[in-house]
This record gives sequence, structure tokens and C-alpha cells, in this order.
Amino acid sequence: MDEKLLSIDSAVNELIKKAKEDGVETIFDRKENMKPCPMGEKGICCRICAMGPCRITPKTPRGLCGATADVIVSRNFARMVAGGAAAHSDHGRDIAHVLHMTSKDGNYKVTDEEKLKELAKRWKIETEGRDIYDIAHEVAEFALNEFGKPFGTLEFPPSLPEQRKKVWENLNIVPRAIDREVVTIMHSTHVGCTADADSMLNISMRTAISDGWGGSYIATELSDILFGTPIPRETEANLGVLEENQVNIVLHGHEPSLSEMIVLAAEDPELIELAKEVGADGINLAGMCCTANEVTMRHGVKIAGNFAQQELAVLTGAVEAVIVDVQCIFPALASLAECYHTKFITTSPKARITGATHIEFDEEKALESAKQIVREAILNFKNRKKEKVFIPKTKSHAMVGYSTKAIINQLDKVVNSHIDKPGTVKPLADCITSGVLRGAAGIVGCNNPKVKHDYGHVEMIKELIKNDVIVVTTGCAAQAAAKAGLLSKDARKLAGKGLATVCELVDIPPVLHMGSCVDISRILELVGLVAKQLNVDISELPVVGAAPEWMSEKAVSIGTYVVSSGIDTWLGVAPPVTGGPRVLEILTSEMENMVGAKFFVEPDPIKAAHQMIEKIEQKRKVLEEKFENIKAVAQA
Amino acid sequence: MSLFKTIFTGSNQALQAAKEFLNKVIEEKGRDHKVAFPDTAYSLPIIYAATGQKMNTLGDLEGALEVVKSLIGEEKENLENALNAGLGTAVASEVIEAIKYATIDTPYSEPCAGHITDSVIRSLGVPLVTGDIPGVAVVLGECPDSEIAAKIIKDYQSKGLLTFLVGKVIDQAIEADVKMGLDLRVIPLGYDVTAVIHVVSVAVRAALIFGALEPGDLEGLLDYTLNRVPAFVNAFGPLSELVVSAGAGAIALGFPVITDQDVFEVPTRLLTQKDYDKFVATSLEARGIKIKITEIPIPVAFAAAFEGERIRKGD
Repeated sequence: MDEKLLSIDSAVNELIKKAKEDGVETIFDRKENMKPCPMGEKGICCRICAMGPCRITPKTPRGLCGATADVIVSRNFARMVAGGAAAHSDHGRDIAHVLHMTSKDGNYKVTDEEKLKELAKRWKIETEGRDIYDIAHEVAEFALNEFGKPFGTLEFPPSLPEQRKKVWENLNIVPRAIDREVVTIMHSTHVGCTADADSMLNISMRTAISDGWGGSYIATELSDILFGTPIPRETEANLGVLEENQVNIVLHGHEPSLSEMIVLAAEDPELIELAKEVGADGINLAGMCCTANEVTMRHGVKIAGNFAQQELAVLTGAVEAVIVDVQCIFPALASLAECYHTKFITTSPKARITGATHIEFDEEKALESAKQIVREAILNFKNRKKEKVFIPKTKSHAMVGYSTKAIINQLDKVVNSHIDKPGTVKPLADCITSGVLRGAAGIVGCNNPKVKHDYGHVEMIKELIKNDVIVVTTGCAAQAAAKAGLLSKDARKLAGKGLATVCELVDIPPVLHMGSCVDISRILELVGLVAKQLNVDISELPVVGAAPEWMSEKAVSIGTYVVSSGIDTWLGVAPPVTGGPRVLEILTSEMENMVGAKFFVEPDPIKAAHQMIEKIEQKRKVLEEKFENIKAVAQA
Repeated sequence: MSLFKTIFTGSNQALQAAKEFLNKVIEEKGRDHKVAFPDTAYSLPIIYAATGQKMNTLGDLEGALEVVKSLIGEEKENLENALNAGLGTAVASEVIEAIKYATIDTPYSEPCAGHITDSVIRSLGVPLVTGDIPGVAVVLGECPDSEIAAKIIKDYQSKGLLTFLVGKVIDQAIEADVKMGLDLRVIPLGYDVTAVIHVVSVAVRAALIFGALEPGDLEGLLDYTLNRVPAFVNAFGPLSELVVSAGAGAIALGFPVITDQDVFEVPTRLLTQKDYDKFVATSLEARGIKIKITEIPIPVAFAAAFEGERIRKGD
């Protein structure tokens, strides 16, 4: 194994070396030993009933039930979408429950009253003269009904352009209740049900839309209401944020209802005192994956690293506890933690892991519960083995906290008060239509050991900003950007003149961290608002998306709802669909006729960036002609 | 057409016009015919400041047009290329204006000033530094009527700004009885778009004289004009490609352009204002000009701009 090839992040490479010295295995070793099954890689292996497992070969072109390769591939794909949508949506549901739990004197409170009232108004919930918590509970109830209401369709946010809704109506892919869409996929993929790739993909799109414009959107909006809408703030990223003389607690997972309470608990004077009693200077919180994104966006908590670094944090020997809730948590952490003093603490009944210390997080007594977990970490400080500690020095400065509202606030800086009103995305739309910004790209997604760690994210982003394409980012892609220094305002020197000028005027970095994976709904919101500002459909904007190192089913759902929303999406890793020619045809070609966008697969991030720029220029041309015609009509 | 394409088109037109004009006069006068603006130590100031080269003869100007060509460069649409193309238009315009001065006995006559001399610029230096002249307005094109033109120009005048006029707006100002002259801080330059170069020349020489700019330091020049010369452009009436590309030159120097026409707006740099009553306020905000003002309720305009006014017998 040549560790030089594994990551562009020196901290990662140093710790991979330490893993070897310590005699422990990481994902990079497991990847080395794993030879993926070629049938699974193409998506032509089916085990949805006990007649199988079946696989498609030239000799057996159909499964026992008669399902063709396309049918099998489309069903497998649909189930990935369902898995992803379910993960995001259950996250959203939990947040809604927490909102329902809020009270004036409780652990959970309403922080952004304005946003709550906006949402209440949208959902026609009375706000005049009412107690804010009565409103919150009713909003929560409304949100919860979105998951399982028996009739009607999803309540779309106002950022969705009418044109886009029409596209969905025509394709009959307007989602109904969120859970129902997931259930429908599980139903339709059952043996002897849907056996038509086109239909299966339509159902997948509908389910994915219920995630992006439903589950994830709700998760983000309600998280903002509960914990505050993010505003720009500074932080640091990479494993160098771990402190030699402090109790290091790594927060890993997804749901802010836990991490927010841990942040509070870590500020508790009694616990800080306890940390000093055990010989530490204090408590040092660091985040990982989307939990890191949630707490860094709202509190500036430092980012320890992204998905592929979760084991490496333990490998530093300096982490007292890894506290996790749900999603993207390696079960390997349980055995790895045993080799060090680190306590691996699971907290959610939805994600128990054999070998972990399970301290169930009780939302009814959230703060008390969080304190108990933090205390556990502090008491573990004395078990740290000094000779095993190695913290890489690497860390980078980053600006985070760019919610849609924060971006609009920044844009207000360049509004001429004698021409325009503040509080809109018009300046951004102007920069795009004038060509100062050529377009915008959302770079999102995971890490995947099939490709060099962080290379895809960082190289693609650099290439895009160099060409005056502004980049917004979330998830582990955002953390890769943070570690590479791309979220710093200084990074504008890597940008083209147009983007650099915009960054200077608006006072932003060229790459905007918009949050966690559910916060991709913020990107939909921003893009939707720009489309509405220009009175065009999202698919007409010079906007692209990419997931250079994706790995999870959530990413499949995200990619599908992004394309369904009209945004061309580049994947750095091929999804398991290559065994189904019809499925491949739809995803990479025909979807363009249906929703105005499609998937591209390109493992080389620089090549992908150039394809994205080419697409952006194509869309500009069409858009410019459209505006020209509008002007001509207006003048005639 | 996209904004940047329009700019490239205008810049190429400027280049073409300069080339044709130059070829024609070279044929008539020869390559060695002398070229100079009157009463300046800075040769052709824009070319001198940007490249460090002094232009002495018509033959030298052929080299200047090579500079224009390289500034227009490849037409890949992005801000950097568009701003460079705008600067190309500025250089091409200076070439055209220089040829006028080299080959026509009196290229400019009343009411137009044309080229501004070094001594005038030196006299403007102190009030610019002290903020007594809070800004420089370049008003070009044609307003919907002379009343609007006069209202806007007089508003700048009463706020102490130095206002340069280019194009038909000069006649509109005369028609509406706007009092003009250096003392009154309203200076008509000329009727051709290229005459706008004489105000750019003022900004550039300010950088050379007061900013001690090294000739040839283009970055330094752009930095000085952006941060030290509080100028902006008001462009009225239909905008030709040439005017748009000249506007890009202004934007490259850091001067925002405010127009009454529909354009692809660029925040803080290229703005559309349809309400003529708000034109002045919009422009001052765009350039970040804050007027220290004490309004005195008297029936006539009161400002430093009227200090040099002469009351003639007839008045």
C-alpha cells in the first residue's frame, strides 16, 4: 500500500503511517483487501426474494422471476434512493419532534422566532398575539404531518419556482407524504411489482424530491428555528485542532439535537472544573462529518475532519471520547477504540453498535443527558497513554456559517439603496447575468476510498473558482475545502478576476460553506430564489452540481433530487447502474428531456470541472438569448 | 448580446477606427509627423502611465495600437478580459484624440475644452485632496430633455463636484442655461465619445503627479484611480457598443457607471437608474461619496463651484 497515493491531506497520510506502526487497521487497509463483486458493481445482482440471489450474465439474461438487467438495476437504484431519503427524512422528523418538545424553561428553546413565524405564515398557522411556543408546537405538528399525511401533496417552500413545479406535475412526480414515498419504493421494488425501468426511476425521482424539498428542507428550517440561523464566523479545520492538554471530545454523526446539547454541556462550569481536576486544561470539542458542520455553522466549533478521517481521530491517541448518533459512523470504531483509551459512545437507539459504550441520549432530559456523556469523556482523560499520542500539526483557517439568509445579508452590502431594496438575491442574479460570475456550482458529498481522499473535492473546486464559478459546498466536501484553506477569505487569490472582485465587494470567501448534508436544501433554496428573481426555471440557470467522492445512499438521493430539480450533476464515482443499459440511458441522457438536467460520471475532477464549465457556458448562451428576446419584445 | 460580447465588439470598433484614422494620416503626413498634446509633460498620458512609453510620432502610435490589440486579446468571456478590452478602448481613444491634435489646427473650440493641461490639473489637486471637490462626475450621452440634464448637472455643481460633459448633453446644458467653465466646475469636453479620454487623462495624470506613480505600473495606476480618484460616469440615452466598452474602461479604473438604459447590471459597478430624480444620489452612493453639507435656505444655489463666477453686465 503506497500511502502517498491515499490522500492529499498530510494529516491523513501521517496517521495512516501511525496505524501501521500501532498495528491497527483502517478503512484504507480494508479497501486494499476488498475486491468488490463485479455483479454488485454493475447493479445486476438481485436478492429481493428467496428464489435468488440471482445475477445477470450472458447465459442468464433474466432472474428467476423474469426480471431483466434493467429491472434489477432500477430496483436496486430505487432502494438506494429510498435508503438515502429515509435517513434524511428521519433526521428531519426527529428535529420536528424536538421542536414539539420546546418550552420556555426547557432545554430546547426557539432561537430564531422570525424564521418560525415565517414558516408558520407559510403553513397558515396563526401567529398574531400567540405564545411563541404554541406557534412552535403547531408548526412542529404540521411538519410531522408532512411525513405521513394521508392525502394531498408535499407543501413546497416558496423558493420553488412555479415552472419547476409544472415540470414535476407533468411527469407525475410531485411527492405526496415523505414516508409514503419511501414505502412506495419498498413496495414497488418487491418481487413481482414494478418491472419497468422508466417507471422505477420516476418513482425514485419523486421520492428524492420528497427528501430535498421535504425531509431535508424541514430538517434545516427547523434546526435553524431551534438552534439559530447560521451567520458567518471563523473556525479551524483538520486533526490539528485536537489539543495536547485538553479533554478532546469528537462529535460525530448528524443530528444537532444531540450536538447542540453537548456544546452546552462542554461549557458547563462544573464540568470544566472537573476537567481541570483530572489534569486537563479544559474541554476541547471538535466535530466530524455533518454534526461538525451543524455545530461549526452555528457555534464555530472546530472541524476535526471528514468521513474518511473518523478512525484517524482515534489514532491520534488524544481523543477521550467519540460521541456519535446516527449515519456514516464506521462500526469499525468499536474495535479500533479498544486499542486506545478512547471511549466510543453511541447515543441513539437508531444506531446501536456492538462493542460501543451506549449511553442513550434522553431528549426529555437533554442537557442532563449530555452532561453525563461529557463527564464520561472527562473521566477518561486519566487513561490517556502519552506514549501513544500523536497529533498532526495540520490545520487551516476557515469561514463558515453561510446560510441563505447570511448570504443575502452579505449581498445587501452591494445594493444601491436608491435602486434596489435589501434582502433579495438580485445582486447575485446580476453578477450571473452580467457574466462577472460565469455560474455557480454546488460541490457536495462524501469521501470514498475508491478515489484519492479529498483530491476530487479540492481540485474540482480550485478549477471552478479559477474560472469565475462561485462554489457553494456542504457535507464532507465542505470539510475538504476547509482543510485545504479554500473557505478562507484569502482563497480569493485563487479565484478568477470576476469571482475575486465579487468576493472583495461582498466580503466573502470564493467557496461558501452552507452546512451539513440536509442543508443542501439551502442550496436548493438559494438557486430557487435566483431562478425566481430572473423568472426562469432552475434548469435554465448556469448552475451545476457535483459529488466527486460520493459513497452513501443519501448521496444517491441527493444527486437524484438535484438532477430532478433541474441541475446537471457530476459524479466522481460511478453508481452501480452500468449493468442496465436502459437505466444508464435515462440517467445520463433522457433525464435531460424530462427534467432539464442529467447525470455525468467523470472520475477526473479537472476534466469534470471543464465539462461543468462548458455546460455553464452553454446555459449562459441560451439564457442570454432569452433575455435578448424579452428585451426585444419589451421594446416592440 | 452578452455584456462582455458587447464590450469586445465596442473595443474592436475603437481599434478599427483608430487604425483607419492612423493609416490615413500616416499616408498624408508620414510616420515621422510629431504627436503631442499641448501643455503636458506626460506625452500621451494614458499610454505613458500604462506602458511607460512616450509617443512622439505617428509611427509610434502603430505600436500603441498593438497594445490595444493585446488588451482586447482572446475573447473568452470573463471579467478580466472584459476590463482589459475596456482599457483597450481607452488607449484607442487616446490614439484617436492624439491624432486629432497632431493633424488639426484647432481640434476643439468653444464651448468644448478637449485636452486639459497639466497646469489645470495641478490647480485641481489641492481641492481634490482636501475634499473641497468631493467627486468627479462624467456625464455623457443625451438626456431625455435639457431640463433633466440641467437639473442633474446643477445638482452636482451645487454639491461642489467637478463635472465633465461629453456628447449631446453639452448642447442640452447650454440650452438650459447651465453656467460652465473650469471656475464653475462644469467642463464640456467634446461631442465625440472618444473625447471622454480627456477626463481619464486627468485621473491618470493625477496618479503621475500626486500619486508619484511610476510610468508603466498599470496595477499601481488602477489601484490609485480606484482608491484616490472619486470619479463616476453617468451615461444617458441609447448606448452604442463603443460607449459600453468605454464604460468598461471606466470600470477598470474603478469608476462606476450609472445609466438610464437597460443593461446587465453589475452590483456597485454598472447600475441602471430610471428615476432621474435619484440619479445624483445613486451615483454618489455608488462611488461612496459623502458630501459634507450644511444646507442654507437661500433662493440661489450656493457652493464653492460658484466662487469664480463673474457677473456680467447683462446679468
